Amino acid sequence: MGDGNATNNRGLSSNNKPEWLQQYDLIGKIGEGTYGLVFLARIKSPTANRGKSIAIKKFKQSKDGDGVSPTAIREIMLLREISHENVVKLVNVHINHTDMSLYLAFDYAEHDLYEIIRHHRDKVSHGISQYTVKSLLWQLLNGLNYLHSNWIIHRDLKPSNILVMGEGDEQGVVKIGDFGLARIYQAPLKPLSDNGVVVTIWYRAPELLLGAKHYTSAVDMWAVGCIFAELLTLKPLFQGVEVKGTPNPFQLDQLDKIFKVLGHPTSEKWPTLVYLPHWQQDAQHIQGHKYENTGLYNTVHLSPKTPAYDLLSRMLEYDPRKRITASQALEHEYFRIDPLPGRNALVCQTGEKVNYPTRPVDTSTDFEGTTSLQPPQTVSSGNAVSGTMPGAHGGTMRSVPRQMAVGGMQRMQPQGMPAYNITSQAGMGGGMNPSGIPMQRGVPAQAHQQQLRRKDPGMGTNVYPPQQKSRRL
Amino acid sequence: MAANFWTSSHYKQLLEQEDVDVLHPLDKDKGITLEDFKLIKMHMANYICKLAQCIKVRQRVVATAVAYMRRVYTRKSMTEYDPRLVAPTCLYLASKAEESTVQARLLVFYLRKLCADEKYRYDEKYRYEIKDILEMEMKILEALNYYLVVFHPYRALSQLLQDAALNDINMTQLTCRGLVNDTYKMDLILVHPPHLIALACIYIASVLREKDTTAWFEELHVDMNAVKNISMEILDFYENHRMITDDRVIAALSKLNLKA
Repeated sequence: MGDGNATNNRGLSSNNKPEWLQQYDLIGKIGEGTYGLVFLARIKSPTANRGKSIAIKKFKQSKDGDGVSPTAIREIMLLREISHENVVKLVNVHINHTDMSLYLAFDYAEHDLYEIIRHHRDKVSHGISQYTVKSLLWQLLNGLNYLHSNWIIHRDLKPSNILVMGEGDEQGVVKIGDFGLARIYQAPLKPLSDNGVVVTIWYRAPELLLGAKHYTSAVDMWAVGCIFAELLTLKPLFQGVEVKGTPNPFQLDQLDKIFKVLGHPTSEKWPTLVYLPHWQQDAQHIQGHKYENTGLYNTVHLSPKTPAYDLLSRMLEYDPRKRITASQALEHEYFRIDPLPGRNALVCQTGEKVNYPTRPVDTSTDFEGTTSLQPPQTVSSGNAVSGTMPGAHGGTMRSVPRQMAVGGMQRMQPQGMPAYNITSQAGMGGGMNPSGIPMQRGVPAQAHQQQLRRKDPGMGTNVYPPQQKSRRL
Repeated sequence: MAANFWTSSHYKQLLEQEDVDVLHPLDKDKGITLEDFKLIKMHMANYICKLAQCIKVRQRVVATAVAYMRRVYTRKSMTEYDPRLVAPTCLYLASKAEESTVQARLLVFYLRKLCADEKYRYDEKYRYEIKDILEMEMKILEALNYYLVVFHPYRALSQLLQDAALNDINMTQLTCRGLVNDTYKMDLILVHPPHLIALACIYIASVLREKDTTAWFEELHVDMNAVKNISMEILDFYENHRMITDDRVIAALSKLNLKA
């Protein structure tokens, strides 16, 4: 990628590995999805980055004989343009011309919010410290503010896509990952729904559930609200049972879960509600129900007077136009009171720290995935493997928790961080928009769900069955 | 950045005209001249446009595809990267990047159809199979160094026309459908920021239509020299364009077929 690295394999070496691959030591497979496989590798000597861990995402060749998958193209296209401390860094792209496969190499992140939440829920008796929750949230918002300022909607925020760096220079730094569904929302040629997108429903904004055609960056803020609540309680906030089948089935149960906690939306509070397709079409289902407003504060165990509650409720505002934006959220009082958020979210001045387990690695699989014993249909099911892999493969698993280095903590001053001014960045540097004409931000879209990444066996009773994990880096 | 031109890879990679007008040694060896080189690129831009009309993809996809093709030839030779394969493959890749994915088999179907149509004089050298397109797609991704975001004059153009109160059908058609599309027959997109290309097109159109835009241009605080230089380039192109015949293009391309 312009760094002089050989990105082709025309000269196969004696041990039959493409040249580019020889700069890495493959450790094993760490994830799997509909797009392909994710591997953990280390950079070999003699480069300056010797021993550095890299996550390599291998895209499968599309089955329909249509070359590089559009998802990979979108992800490369976006990641090549963006650069921010709280966004995952694409370090290289490699192509294997012999089998026409494409590899994206990222800085490796040892943790993610899914695993961190799971660890606290299942392994340790206490919740995530206030400092850690606040630091994770602040950094997530900081990365999201950057994306939104640059007209990018992520569209698939969920705990497993929010990565956290392990030991090293960037320990405890949040990285937003997985841009396979992200879009530049200035002017796409086709509605986003035409791509047959796949998004888990638990973090889906109510306007999308009600059939809104126009996506805005507010959908990401709703997801952040859900993630914030989950960090506080260790349980998904709105755990609806997904309706499968037709391209974009109406997700009544998910709305039901939301209404139970937040109460019924009203056209007084949300004026454009009446124009949403499902609000009208499924009126008897939705509007017929009477919901007792159980109160968000009861669900998340926060006093309504606390800044944390105030911020959360603004993220979970029904009307997307009133929902707090990432840049507003960064300025919220919650981030100005003790404990202040820090750069290393995983350590804390009170000495209270948790050793999070490292990612399980299936060392029995090579880059081709050839030693994988899994039948192909399991591979394409879109389910992540990290939870289920050990048993299925009998592979050697590295799961001994590492001692986490403490110290070197840097504190961030929220008021000192530049708040992106969305309006000033919207015009293309002035020259492109000399008269300051407001640009269209919404795009026609529908959240069609044609495939499911997350399977939900035993939903309702079972919080987080391990096989639900969708490991996407 | 994906939406801010000034922080984009496109802006950072703008080239000087001298760097665009460099013949690859392999092409030079085949006797290809700078004029041939430009002619072939123009011809391929037209070819991409014709293909796109068959497949029915939008102008923005065409524009991105042409920009990709022109970027490829700032780094690669026509000898190794045959333009007759690069052009359709760029359209294929651009269709994915611009969210209007075209199936490879559809593309190949229209490649054949255009070859069979005698009025276009596309010979057998334009025929490629799906496999060729898919292999070339990867090579083009590499040649582009994986930079896929391209900004175009169209967005700036419509905003600027509106701002200048010139957004009547007459002006829009002339500038947008006519002039801006024609700028892709040149290498302008590799050299100049898109909004300056748009301004140059407005400038030419306003002169042609005798609209007084002097005051409006003055208020813009843009580099009017750059705008005038681009305008001159466009006018020069139209002047030279009259002399270009199919036979000249075919002669230039036939040099590529020679064994070195």
